[in-house]
Amino acid sequence: MMDISLLLQNFLNGLSIGSIYAIFSLGYTLIFSILGIINFAHGALFTLGAYFTYALMGEAFGFNGLLANLQLPLKLPFFLALLISSMLVGFVGVAIEYIAFRPLRKRKADPLLTVVSSLGVALIIVNLIQYLVGAESYTFPSNTYENLPAAINFGSADKPIPIRTVQIVIFAVCTSILSLLTYAINFSRFGKAMRAVAEDQVTANLLGINTNLFIVSTFFISSFLAGLAGTLVGSSVSISGPYLGITFGLKGLAVIVLGGLGSIPGAVLGGLIIGITEAFVPADYSAYKDAVAFSILLIMLLIKPEGLLGRRFIQKV
Amino acid sequence: MMNSVIKETDNQPMLEVKQITRRFGGLVAVNEVSFDVHNQEIFGLIGPNGAGKTTLFNLITGLIEPSSGQIFAQAQLISHLKPHQIAAKGIARTFQNIRLFGELSALENVIVGRHLHTKSNFVTGILGLPQANQAEKQAKQKAKELIELVGLGDRLLEKAKNLSYGDQRRLEIARALALEPSILLLDEPAAGMNPNEKQVLSTFIRDLRSQFNLTIILIEHHVPLVMGLCDRIAVLNFGKLIALGQPEIVRNDPAVIEAYLGVD
Amino acid sequence: MVNLFNDYAPLIISMILGALLGISLYLPLMTGQLSLASPGFYAVGGYVAAIFSTKIFPTSGLYPWYLLLLEMMVAALISTLLGLVVGIPVLRLRGIYLAIATIAFVEVLRIFSLNLEITGGAVGIFGIPQPFNNTLEYLWVVLPLLIISSIILYRLENIRVGKAFIAIREDELAAEAMGINPTHYKVLAFTLGAILAGVSGVIAAHFLNTWNARQGTFDASIIYLTSVLIGGTRTFVGPILGGMMFTALPEILRSLANIPNLPLWLVGFFKDGRLIIFGVLIVIGTLFFPQGLVTPDLFNNFSKLMRIGLNKVRLKKI
Repeated sequence: MMDISLLLQNFLNGLSIGSIYAIFSLGYTLIFSILGIINFAHGALFTLGAYFTYALMGEAFGFNGLLANLQLPLKLPFFLALLISSMLVGFVGVAIEYIAFRPLRKRKADPLLTVVSSLGVALIIVNLIQYLVGAESYTFPSNTYENLPAAINFGSADKPIPIRTVQIVIFAVCTSILSLLTYAINFSRFGKAMRAVAEDQVTANLLGINTNLFIVSTFFISSFLAGLAGTLVGSSVSISGPYLGITFGLKGLAVIVLGGLGSIPGAVLGGLIIGITEAFVPADYSAYKDAVAFSILLIMLLIKPEGLLGRRFIQKV
Repeated sequence: MMNSVIKETDNQPMLEVKQITRRFGGLVAVNEVSFDVHNQEIFGLIGPNGAGKTTLFNLITGLIEPSSGQIFAQAQLISHLKPHQIAAKGIARTFQNIRLFGELSALENVIVGRHLHTKSNFVTGILGLPQANQAEKQAKQKAKELIELVGLGDRLLEKAKNLSYGDQRRLEIARALALEPSILLLDEPAAGMNPNEKQVLSTFIRDLRSQFNLTIILIEHHVPLVMGLCDRIAVLNFGKLIALGQPEIVRNDPAVIEAYLGVD
Repeated sequence: MVNLFNDYAPLIISMILGALLGISLYLPLMTGQLSLASPGFYAVGGYVAAIFSTKIFPTSGLYPWYLLLLEMMVAALISTLLGLVVGIPVLRLRGIYLAIATIAFVEVLRIFSLNLEITGGAVGIFGIPQPFNNTLEYLWVVLPLLIISSIILYRLENIRVGKAFIAIREDELAAEAMGINPTHYKVLAFTLGAILAGVSGVIAAHFLNTWNARQGTFDASIIYLTSVLIGGTRTFVGPILGGMMFTALPEILRSLANIPNLPLWLVGFFKDGRLIIFGVLIVIGTLFFPQGLVTPDLFNNFSKLMRIGLNKVRLKKI
């Protein structure tokens, strides 16, 4: 007989982690919708965001790695660091596009090659981090969310359902981003042009849309979101090491397939569903939590590969 | 598999298309089309761009499923079958956009076409057992003959992607013939040819019919070619069959003239 | 001289195992299927060996060769069954979807192996007995395996089944129109690759003496995929060379690190930064050697099939 408050607690926890999955996967699915590729470097950018924010807040790195004991002479407040770090990650994403992806597209190389290249980029970034600052874990200072109470009680006094404030922040960020993106993409001129590029690059070009600009913008936004998600995870849990983003990267696959490749609401829906499902895995089986996402992924691929909200791909003959 | 290959009998149409419909979302690409194709007939399928001709071919060869309706080959229902099963029934095709195996040589392309007639599987093939070796040799021989038949004998070993456009079309036909089909579907075989080449092709198709006892259905844009070659013609427009009959009758049909107004 | 050989024996054996894994990835690739599932079967094979030799037939001395063969047969059988069970539904997918599905499959296997008791949990199984007195004798097993696989692949390209594989890779639709049943052949290729990976896993488990969940991971998939892609996708020689090369790479880097008078950061880079070099090689490889190093050629055409999985809805006729 499940306790209502326990149910609610799990649900809200799931919503929170699901939001992070959603934010992360939004970027993933954006790239897919505009370029038709899975950008495996996304997970690495996620990790980068966390590290950047940590550094920008003036925290110190450990004694491993080439840049041992690195500590920037800055001490930015969290939200500012978050913003700057995400923008930096955005620029890194754009750099990747210029160096690794654009030349392939110019050559009309197969999208598969770009996917493989993104794997290479991911390897470079993650291992560069490890090489430079070592592989230990880092925790953000406890006063990160200093102006907010530690937790908010959603229950009653005798049956408390404490939700850490940071989780609420994450959920709020997710909802705002989703609304912003949905509005921008569906109602703004920029968004309409972006959808045109996603639909058919050649035609969009012929219509005078500067497709390259849109592709670059998409990379920036997508990478920004990755960095943002990384910081949120890093600050709310911890930075477990350079490989932080890899599991997320793989789970992100599950999210976007579930939601539908290329679908923005799908990424959010998928993220929340997987987050909530994971939250309800009984504590005894917590080791199998990760298997949840992949099992859902496999099932989805076998029943409905286009996902819940995706479009069915029809082959042309 | 080979037992159910359709054979000719005079009283049964080779192909029966019954009320075939195919929708793509809101678009009705093929709309309740019905017709029969007789044994060893050369049957033409014409219509303006987007009329649904290739979709109809795709429906017949099992590449897509009908939304409703049925297709029979020699009284056997085939509309639910997969493409490779339909090929096994003796229905072969060429494609509008030429789908050769580019990296394989011309010879190898046609050898692939012999797939269904070659008795060699993974085990017997790898081990090189005598009957498998023999089968492979025969496949190669037969393929060579077909290539020579279409006039590509001197370019046997050339990679298919390096052949000229006209040669590629001929190779595709050779590959389709390798199936030993009873029904051959040709999707715009004359596309990109000059009038001379079209004439040669026309004669060639007629020769194929008599040499191999084939029933031939062809989609073609070039109306004079179709008029001169086909025994009967079906005209599609916006997915609907608007005329069916002998060339002279179809040519003078007002609906057909209207559909083609302004188009060659 | 013999001593030198002995010193390099572990490397040689590793390289041959790497080549075998490359081939196991190449087989589904022949039908145009990008499957990253090999490490999963490799892991399963290793666990079969580990469990057999430590739990079912625990041995303190030299492990009998007939038991090794038994393990290989069992692993082949399990790989076949698993390959069919996973392959038949999964190979209906195309392109990137298939790749993702195989990644998910490997991940699920990894998570289970991390948590089940029989596989030793996170620690894995160690103390796996050796069937040979010295490392070089492993050649008795791996070399025949490599030779047999190579012969099979060489023959394959010349016979009906192999041509069907390649036809499917070139243009699955056209192949189907010629009477080739794509699912049948894709599953065949997939299962063959699975069997090879599984059997290799058996040998590797004994060779490495321990076996754990780290043996079958997404990282491993990437490494072997890279070796195949860079080595060359057109012929079976490519993955063999690629597999060997990439297995040897860490060793080469390690010896580079021992060159005297190098700046410290370079030494450290060679020692720890090999994955960075890997990544750089991948990116450069895709930019400048899209078809791999061995017989460039086919890669673009084979990828046409991949593109089908990535295309958007198009209602216009071509």
